[in-house]
Amino acid sequence: MIVSKRVLLVEDNELNRDMMVRRLNRAGLEVISAANGQQALNIMVLDQPNVVLMDMNLPIMDGWTASRRAREDDRIRHIPIIALTAHAMEADRLSALEAGCDDYATKPVDFPGLLIKIEKLTRT
Amino acid sequence: MSLRRRLTLSLVTILILFAVNVGTHFWGSFARNESMIAYRGSVNAAQLSKEVEQLLQDQRQQILVLATLRETTDDRLEDTELQQAEDAITTINGKIQKLGRLSQSVTELPYDQLWESSSYLLKRWLQFYLSYNKSNFEMNMNDPLPFLETSQRLKELEERQAFIAVQRATIIVRTISLTDRITVIAFFSSIFLTATLGFFLVRYTNTSLKRLKKGTERLGGGDLNYRIDNIDDTGELGDLADAFNVMSSKLRNAIYDVRSAKDSADEANAAKSIFLANVSHELRTPLNAIIGYSEMLHDELGDEGEVPRLQFQEDLYKITRSGQQLLTLIDDLLDLSKIETGKMSLHCEHFKPTDILKEACDALTPMLRNNDNTLELADLRGLPTLYNDATKFRQIFTNLLSNANKFTKKGCISVLGREIPERPGWIELVVRDTGIGMDEEQLSRVFEAFVQADSSTSANYGGTGLGLAICREFCDLMGGTIEVRSQAGEGSSFTVVLPTDLALTHATA
Repeated sequence: MIVSKRVLLVEDNELNRDMMVRRLNRAGLEVISAANGQQALNIMVLDQPNVVLMDMNLPIMDGWTASRRAREDDRIRHIPIIALTAHAMEADRLSALEAGCDDYATKPVDFPGLLIKIEKLTRT
Repeated sequence: MSLRRRLTLSLVTILILFAVNVGTHFWGSFARNESMIAYRGSVNAAQLSKEVEQLLQDQRQQILVLATLRETTDDRLEDTELQQAEDAITTINGKIQKLGRLSQSVTELPYDQLWESSSYLLKRWLQFYLSYNKSNFEMNMNDPLPFLETSQRLKELEERQAFIAVQRATIIVRTISLTDRITVIAFFSSIFLTATLGFFLVRYTNTSLKRLKKGTERLGGGDLNYRIDNIDDTGELGDLADAFNVMSSKLRNAIYDVRSAKDSADEANAAKSIFLANVSHELRTPLNAIIGYSEMLHDELGDEGEVPRLQFQEDLYKITRSGQQLLTLIDDLLDLSKIETGKMSLHCEHFKPTDILKEACDALTPMLRNNDNTLELADLRGLPTLYNDATKFRQIFTNLLSNANKFTKKGCISVLGREIPERPGWIELVVRDTGIGMDEEQLSRVFEAFVQADSSTSANYGGTGLGLAICREFCDLMGGTIEVRSQAGEGSSFTVVLPTDLALTHATA
């Protein structure tokens, strides 16, 4: 059982955000949410979450840019990012990994699988 | 000059030289023959003259002996001897006549003189023999004059003949050397001409063929812009070069056509792939909510204690809404697919545009409140009745109005319409909003499918990104057009132009 790990969920779709927050909470994770990439970067710096779940198509700043910026910023470089997107092609997976994401999950989300990925990336 | 002309000219020249050669040969042969005959005649005549001379001498000798005998003795000649003497004289006469037949114009005069004197001499000799046995024989044969005269004339003739023979021989020699010279000259001229013509022909042909070969190689190597120039020839090789250039132009065009066809096929293919990826994305977004909520509710049902009914109901509603969104997307996709495959049909009827616009506006009213918008529908009762597909008309304006509301907050949406004065039989309907508008890049792609599938837009404003694509296809199908004017932050204005009577438009089209 994961104990009190803080997850930053970056998701602009209200419905999906609500659903994910509730499910992650039920799984025992502490969840902070952001609606765009800029917001996400700010929260990462301030709150230092254990892991970030990043939707890629976001308003204001998209997930690819945010991931790239995060990798260039010493303060948040170490925080693992899991890309979470409805783009399901192989090329999309690669572009997320190239942008600096550590892992990749397609929507609809395989929730148990996602929990395993979180566990793997936050194990210290 | 054309190749054929050059070849013909060469052939004609060589043929003429050949004809000269053959002509010279025949002429030489003829001239030689003629001189030969004359020469032979002269030689024969000279020989004959010698014979006659000998015979005359013998006869004279015999006559002198006989005359001496007759004077001293009473000699008599027997009949056979007489006959023999007569025959001898006739033979001499015959030979002299034969000499005349051999004689030519240049020896005619000396012969005539010979004939005259010999006739006298022979006549005297014959008389001598005839009167030999007679008792009153009285003939003085010692007079040498007639004989000497005849001998002299015979000699002259002989000399003349010899002179002619020498002359003829000279002519023969000259003819032979002349014909030889002509033959040799003609032979070497033909060789020279043939070689020169051949050389130029080969050089010219070679140069042109090299150019053609180079052109062919360049073209074969893929340089489709290569052209053969500098063949300043109006003949076959020039024609060939022109044909080559025409061919390479056509080939280039054909290859460009093929390439552009391939490019557009590739583009279409790429567009299809992108479209498919977009469809996948758009399907996954609501599915994510449906599956996520369902799994979550399932988990919650397994929990201990009371189920929070209100929350449960709300979550189920969210699932339903996502499902409906999915359905709308699928319907829109099917519409687009039908249009694309040409299976979307029109069901035309007469309707008043104002009625349908009123209904569409009424349907939008509940949504207006969400964004604090106002809606103004102009008085469009003056618009003519349309004959077109009313359902599609409704769908176009439902889409446009819903879009306008979606991208406008605390603003105003207005619907205007008019008959186009400069285009009788056509009306124009405008849906205008004071919303966020679009920049030029967005404007240029606004009617493409999934363009707003930049999920920041779809996430914030909803919709499938297919609405305007369908609007444009419907307008097209209905014989009209749709246009948009917009500026970022200044609102958008969609203008639909439609014919009042589609049947009429199609009939006149």
